[in-house]
Amino acid sequence: MTTSTYNDMQDKGGRTKVRPPRIFGILREPVGLVSLLMIVVLALLVVPPILILIQLSFADIADNGAIKGYTLAHYSALFSGAKFFGVLWTTIVFAAFATVISLLFGGILAWLVERTNTPFRRLAYLTAIVSLGTPYVLYVMAWLFLFGRTGPVNQLYHWLTGNTGDLLNVYSLWGMVLIEGFLWSPLVFLLMSATFRMSNAEMEEAARMNGASVWDTIWHISLKLARPAVLALAMFVFIRDIEAFEVPALVGIPGDVKVLTTDIYLAIREFPPNLGHASAFSVIMLILVSVLLYFYGRISKHAERYASVTGKGYRPRPFDLGSARGIAGVIVLFNFAVVLALPLLALFWMALTPFIAPIGWTVMKSVSLANFIVVLTSPSYLSLATNTLIVSITAATGAVLLTAVCGWLAARRKPGGTIVDQLATMPLIFPGIVLGVALLNLSLRSPIPIYGTVWLIGIAYLIRYMPYGMRYSYNGVLQIHKELEEAGVASGAGIWQVLGRVIAPLLSPALVAAWLFIFLISSRELSIAILLAGPNSQVIAVSMFDLWQNGQAGELSALGLLWTLLMVLVASAFYFLERRQSAKTFG
Amino acid sequence: MSLTIVKSCAVGGLAAALFIGTAAPSFAVDQALIDAAKKEGTVVWYSTLIVNQLVRPVAEAFQAKYPGITVKYSRTPAGEMALKLQNEIRANSVQADVFDANSAFFRAMPLENLVEYKPEAAAHYPDDLKDPKGRFTAVNVFTMATGINTNLVAEKDRPKSYEDLLDPKWKGKMAWTTDLTPNGPPGFIGNILVTMGEEKGMAYLEKLAKQDIAKVPASQRVVLDQVIAGQYAIGLMIFNNHTVISAAKGAPTTWLKIEPLISTGNYVGIIKNSPHPNAAKLFEEFILSKEGQTVFQKASYLPADPDVPADDPSLKPKQGGYKATTITNEMALEQLPRWTEIYKKLFP
Repeated sequence: MTTSTYNDMQDKGGRTKVRPPRIFGILREPVGLVSLLMIVVLALLVVPPILILIQLSFADIADNGAIKGYTLAHYSALFSGAKFFGVLWTTIVFAAFATVISLLFGGILAWLVERTNTPFRRLAYLTAIVSLGTPYVLYVMAWLFLFGRTGPVNQLYHWLTGNTGDLLNVYSLWGMVLIEGFLWSPLVFLLMSATFRMSNAEMEEAARMNGASVWDTIWHISLKLARPAVLALAMFVFIRDIEAFEVPALVGIPGDVKVLTTDIYLAIREFPPNLGHASAFSVIMLILVSVLLYFYGRISKHAERYASVTGKGYRPRPFDLGSARGIAGVIVLFNFAVVLALPLLALFWMALTPFIAPIGWTVMKSVSLANFIVVLTSPSYLSLATNTLIVSITAATGAVLLTAVCGWLAARRKPGGTIVDQLATMPLIFPGIVLGVALLNLSLRSPIPIYGTVWLIGIAYLIRYMPYGMRYSYNGVLQIHKELEEAGVASGAGIWQVLGRVIAPLLSPALVAAWLFIFLISSRELSIAILLAGPNSQVIAVSMFDLWQNGQAGELSALGLLWTLLMVLVASAFYFLERRQSAKTFG
Repeated sequence: MSLTIVKSCAVGGLAAALFIGTAAPSFAVDQALIDAAKKEGTVVWYSTLIVNQLVRPVAEAFQAKYPGITVKYSRTPAGEMALKLQNEIRANSVQADVFDANSAFFRAMPLENLVEYKPEAAAHYPDDLKDPKGRFTAVNVFTMATGINTNLVAEKDRPKSYEDLLDPKWKGKMAWTTDLTPNGPPGFIGNILVTMGEEKGMAYLEKLAKQDIAKVPASQRVVLDQVIAGQYAIGLMIFNNHTVISAAKGAPTTWLKIEPLISTGNYVGIIKNSPHPNAAKLFEEFILSKEGQTVFQKASYLPADPDVPADDPSLKPKQGGYKATTITNEMALEQLPRWTEIYKKLFP
């Protein structure tokens, strides 16, 4: 009989079942089977690439790509750089400040949008979705144009002051910090808004009624409640920033700013590509991530105290900002302008002109829609778009289904939960190209003829973006009080029923945010697509790379904008469906 | 098997003449090869060329000439293509029949993996554009030049020699790609060492290193775009045809004949144990023939065939009347690692 909950069993059992081997401990409980199943699935996805990663990190690779022996050279090369500690320091500064910008920017915005009566709330969502749907290279390209030597910002400065020097040099550490920070603020926004939407407003209201000021309430209630989520997120974004390749390459290399990944980026572009260097770095990151996750697990041991979605009926009510409403509106508009409007306008300008030119009257004469016409009349883009949608939808759906269960196991500290969390988070540190090579290797040897198909790219994205799904669902589960599950079990529901009928609906805001994020971001990933796309599985990213490589900035901008439009339409449809669903669940 | 190519105008000539509307080509491919290729029905081409400009037009022209043979292509940069092919070869599961890539690619693709086949269509190509055993043949060539922003570099200030690039006024105003191929900084270094000699060359490069040349982690074309946009005044190792294409659209740019310029190649070859070996040979014959080369000409690329001029003839050394150091594939294979080392040391 299931009169006692399996949570109780686990609490009692956790202490008494220490001695038998863990794997059998897991199996004693019904939830153990689920854990085991997830561990097996995750291990199948994650462990083979990790083994290849480790192998490559020690491999002495011949020119033809074969492994001719083993060496520690890749590791010693990591530390032996002349200015290793200088570079390490730059890396930490870069990652720390970029994380702070993403968190502040995304977090404040999420709180305003979900918890207050700020104006322009829809605009904030639009900003996040559109900017995530915009391919990475394009986004960085737009920023570099805006703040470049001949970009509008410096132009305006020259015009106003008569100086010929530059107001700001975007090719600098601060340029990198700003761009990286803005790039990941939509991730934080989507994640935090899911958190805030689900959290119970009762406590905030109680504080306000007892005379706490708006800021006191935010500081003592809203932020405290969100603490485990914010902590996990900060760690996650920080790791992501340390292993970021794109901004350090595109902004840092021309500006001569070196971080740890700079050399790795350049090593990959050598002939033959030097994968050992990148792999050694990733292995070290892998260890770092495991250690961080371990400590994080200890800190958030009592995370259930923060759960605010309980069995009691509640309805989140917006917080009245009163006179601060205007300021909030300005923040939302600022975000819209900086994260979305300016880069898109820059792209639009590039799409309209035949070559990249400073904004000015002389170029106005040559403005035309030619680039858009080329894209719209080109025969190949339709099949590319179809392939890309298949890949993105497969990856997003697969990752969300998997991580919904995994996030629950990890957040509830179920038997095996820690292993599940570790496994699902590890792909975070795979450089795209290494994951690509690993899958290339495996698929060529696999008995199932998957090499060269879109499904292989879908699986690669699923693995690569699983950690993001994990963060969304983990944070979501933390907020749902255990009592809801216990009630389900007490009423005779099995574990799948609890997951499907109780957790899934309550978790839906987080899961939808995760789906959107992965769906949008997976069409931006270039390196995996380029390596795995065969003649029958070309995706839009390959085309974008093609145009970028060939410097067809105009056509690339036009394609990028049209693609963004398509992604936004798909995402919006999904978003509105979800809001209707969410309204049913949360009232 | 009779895979020999017969010099004859009879068979494919008429169709070809109709297709390009010019004189019939000087040879036609052996019918036995065509039949064998048709039986295979498909040719898979891994290409580093630009899809819209060349890959699709070449594929369409080939399919129009040989109905029944489909060209399947995959566009991949040279580094990724090397990884892909290396893995396919090691797994005994080669998917590609034919490829094209620049010299750097061959560093990662030992020649013993390539089929020895001397295409008849390239019989009249100069020796420095092809392998004596037929494992690779240049399909198009590049001239690497110095590209400038004409608004930022006045007519009288234009550098005329490599020494002029050392002028302090260009400090911090020049850029080049991080592409470690003969088309990037290693090619520049190779040219300097070959023309100035080791000692003088190294002394020159050391001075150049003090000019703070910005590294743009993207293609040569992107470097030129940044020059056009005014971010930098001078771009080193720029494809000369790109400046012409942009200037035609009104961009403030041109290329300088700082001699000797650098001439490099893009090569085709056939992978051993590929699934469609005959179609691969037929395709190689086609892309090196007058018809194939005309597609390159129309796309404003420099055809490798000495008899097919560029659409702006002055872009090629002979017609343009400028001197260029030709970096052959053999030379690149031998020297590229050294030039790359020098680059990494002097321009860290």
